[in-house]
Amino acid sequence: MDKSWQVALMYFIVHLGLIFFMYPGDIIASTQDGHWIPIVLGFALHLAALSLYLKGLFNWGNNDIIALYMKAGKGYAVLFLLPLAVYFFMACITVVRCSAEIMTIVMLSSTPLWAVMLTFLLIPTYFALKGITSIFRTGVLIGMMNVPIILFFFSFSFQNIDWRYVFPMIGKASFLTEPSYLESFFVFAGGFLFLGFIQPHVAFRKRYVILAAIALLPFFIFSVYIPLLTFGQSTASTFNFPFIVSLDTISITWLMFERITVFLLLSLISFLMLFLSLSLWSTMRIVHAGIPALKPRYLLVSIPVLVYVVCLAIPSWTDIVKLFWWNTYLRFYIMAAIPLSTYFLASRSKKRMVRS
Amino acid sequence: MKHTWMRAVGIAIAVGIAALLGGCWDNRDIDHRSLPVVMGVSLSKDKYEVVLQIPETSSKGVNLRILKQKGRTINQAVDKISERMESSVDLLHLKVILVEKGYAQQGLTDSIASFMRSRDISPKTIVAICDEKLDPFFDYVKKSMTPRGTTLYDCFEKNAGWNPQMSLTRIWEVYRSIHSYTRDVAIPIIKSGRNGTIDYLGSAIIKNGRMVDQITPEETLLFNSFNGHSAQGKIEVMDKASVMILRSSMRHRSKIVQGTPYLYVQITVKVSIVETKGSVTSQSINQELEKILMKRFSGMLRKSQTREADILGLGQYFRNKIPRTQLRVWRESYLPKLRMDFRIKSIIQNDGYTKLS
Repeated sequence: MDKSWQVALMYFIVHLGLIFFMYPGDIIASTQDGHWIPIVLGFALHLAALSLYLKGLFNWGNNDIIALYMKAGKGYAVLFLLPLAVYFFMACITVVRCSAEIMTIVMLSSTPLWAVMLTFLLIPTYFALKGITSIFRTGVLIGMMNVPIILFFFSFSFQNIDWRYVFPMIGKASFLTEPSYLESFFVFAGGFLFLGFIQPHVAFRKRYVILAAIALLPFFIFSVYIPLLTFGQSTASTFNFPFIVSLDTISITWLMFERITVFLLLSLISFLMLFLSLSLWSTMRIVHAGIPALKPRYLLVSIPVLVYVVCLAIPSWTDIVKLFWWNTYLRFYIMAAIPLSTYFLASRSKKRMVRS
Repeated sequence: MKHTWMRAVGIAIAVGIAALLGGCWDNRDIDHRSLPVVMGVSLSKDKYEVVLQIPETSSKGVNLRILKQKGRTINQAVDKISERMESSVDLLHLKVILVEKGYAQQGLTDSIASFMRSRDISPKTIVAICDEKLDPFFDYVKKSMTPRGTTLYDCFEKNAGWNPQMSLTRIWEVYRSIHSYTRDVAIPIIKSGRNGTIDYLGSAIIKNGRMVDQITPEETLLFNSFNGHSAQGKIEVMDKASVMILRSSMRHRSKIVQGTPYLYVQITVKVSIVETKGSVTSQSINQELEKILMKRFSGMLRKSQTREADILGLGQYFRNKIPRTQLRVWRESYLPKLRMDFRIKSIIQNDGYTKLS
């Protein structure tokens, strides 16, 4: 059955969940002016990788990338699938640890970290245990509830902006080598890879996903520009989570709630849980393909346990940032190698099929 | 059989998860919290004095409780207050932070930065300066103001007692002024009045978190309308008439010639006539109004230029003309040189129910 719009919605909300936390801070730290250049550049690379990946997937036909690499040979599988599994694993760790830390900073100051992280992992694990189709159904439900909330607060976040802070528009190209800019690719690399795993279970069309990706562009831009226009560059660069702070400055007198940040945060967290469940599920698929003897169910329980243990071992925010940075090499490898290899392997097998 | 068993376990877990819905850890119920509405801060001999105004409900109504404590940091002082109370102090709903003038002149940078850092205090909290010692001021508030708990806050709230000649500045704006190259803020100055009122004395010019000068309420009105806060409703008193400003709009052009910034600003105010004295014509009112506003504006501009504090945010208009490295020194090297061509055009939109003779 065609579930294009479910996939597109999932793609959209998973990225929304990723954008608003670390991304604005990273981009603001990467350059002093002309922030739209790094954003658009990152987005263009993302779009290029995505369309290449999708092209490869559709050349390959109605199957997932694990089958593609397995067919191409064991060597390919190890070369591409192993780093991918490691990357998903690392992404789970960073997302769980980061969002737990944000939760403690913003609202649950007296709740111990282990409890926050435990709930963060329990719920996605449950989603994943129920299978990929139910992850998507949950995605639709959460999307219907929370996307309106996000859009509402997002549109109100323009309240305190001063457009003149947009200048100077042109910056230097030095951001290309800034560590924080390279880290910002976290947003672009993590979210689209799940598309390669869902195929026989959830069928979708290419066009919808591309449209969802394009619809994300304003969110990428304004997640960075709202803090910039509210505070100015020199002030915004002093914040860890600029977008969240600028949300805190909004006052809506007719709304009965004082601190609207909490609502936005909870919606984003629910999106991140979907991201987690997708990543857990994909990791499970890869590990299962490597060691078929292990049952998927046990894998789906043991991977989160492993993630949880590693998360507990990370003591502080600086260590998370360090982990983020170590991840960078892997991230770029994944972002370049997976779409490219999918594309080439798929077109090769297509040619063979045509010939035979 | 196995299936039913699994399902039973699943349901048990689902019910168990409902226990988590309580959500918060070490939660203190609302009756065990004190929620101060106003906090006063002063600094003397490297020690902060913190005064909290806490509304407490009793059978008779609301009582205001004033608590004071000294500490090496603001947090320490608040903690000391919390220790001495039967309930714990929670700054979550703080609405106004009142700073003693002397402390504001020394510089608020550290406190404002820590207010921003901690999530306890909302960045939306209003900052005001108190032009007398905090103790007598709070005593006065406790004694003479109707105890509704939020009284002092209501003076500043836009949908309550706020007046257009008051500046309204929140913590995040002060924080922005500390770091921004081209933007400073004005903070209202208040003082205890008589008969249960609070006198508003004007606004303090804050440069990089430090109070450097003061402007009058009339100048503040202009400052507000320049910064796009509605100046609606304000009654402008002149020799011959008083008018109400209905709307003000602004047009501007900026350029830089050989390092000197030039700014052309035209403010159009639309007014309605409220009161007249003797025989006046609309022409004379227009002239008078333009003259008065011009005078006030140039006075304010002069203050801002001599103090090198850009409360009007004039540097904002030059952000696209000056490179960032130069923007850093906007306050020192450009603002004093700024040439401003300022024009005010007033339009009498209507003269109320009666004709202007």
